[in-house]
Amino acid sequence: MAEGPISNQIRTLRFLNGEMSQAELGQRIGVTRQTIAAIEAGKYSPSLEAAFRIAQVFGKPLDEVFQWRG
Amino acid sequence: MPHQEKSAWLALAAMLAAYVPFFAYAAVSPPGPPPYLRVLAALAAVSVLRLLILGVGHLVFRAQSPQDARAPADERDRAIARRAASIAYYLLMAAALGIGCFMPFYTGGWDIVRATLLAVVAVEIARCVLIVVDYRRGWHG
Repeated sequence: MAEGPISNQIRTLRFLNGEMSQAELGQRIGVTRQTIAAIEAGKYSPSLEAAFRIAQVFGKPLDEVFQWRG
Repeated sequence: MPHQEKSAWLALAAMLAAYVPFFAYAAVSPPGPPPYLRVLAALAAVSVLRLLILGVGHLVFRAQSPQDARAPADERDRAIARRAASIAYYLLMAAALGIGCFMPFYTGGWDIVRATLLAVVAVEIARCVLIVVDYRRGWHG
């Protein structure tokens, strides 16, 4: 698997938000459940817009959700 | 598995199932006199076969997971499709240049027709393979 330069805390944040499902998160930001799974697994780096939408769903600033591995 | 990836696998399987036998047939059998109606009829038959495989496959996908089948392509699907199409475009350009600029100096009509068909099919197969690989390996834009 090609691991990207961006890590994320989406799995943890979903757990802390009442075990929100990937499908529900995907529905709220307008992507498929499989794309959320790919983002969580580091197989896809989302667009800036999708990243902001995810952060907004969890009520967190962007850098608490996504981290640049460099 | 995302619906778009399933579709790419299906398109790949349909292309291989339809066109590998066709090109095997076209390679070993003489085309006959122009306008090569026998071979063109075989091409039409395998193209119908391909459409049938695609149609049945999509019906099965829709029955298995209707929600996934209804969901529109999202940004990841579009990014993967765009990358595959842009690489396939350059492959098609290279094939067109090879066939159009070099083959007329070395060979005749039927070989050029066959090479053109083969190039189109090969590029479409390459596009499907690129899509599947990007879904499997991951894609980071």
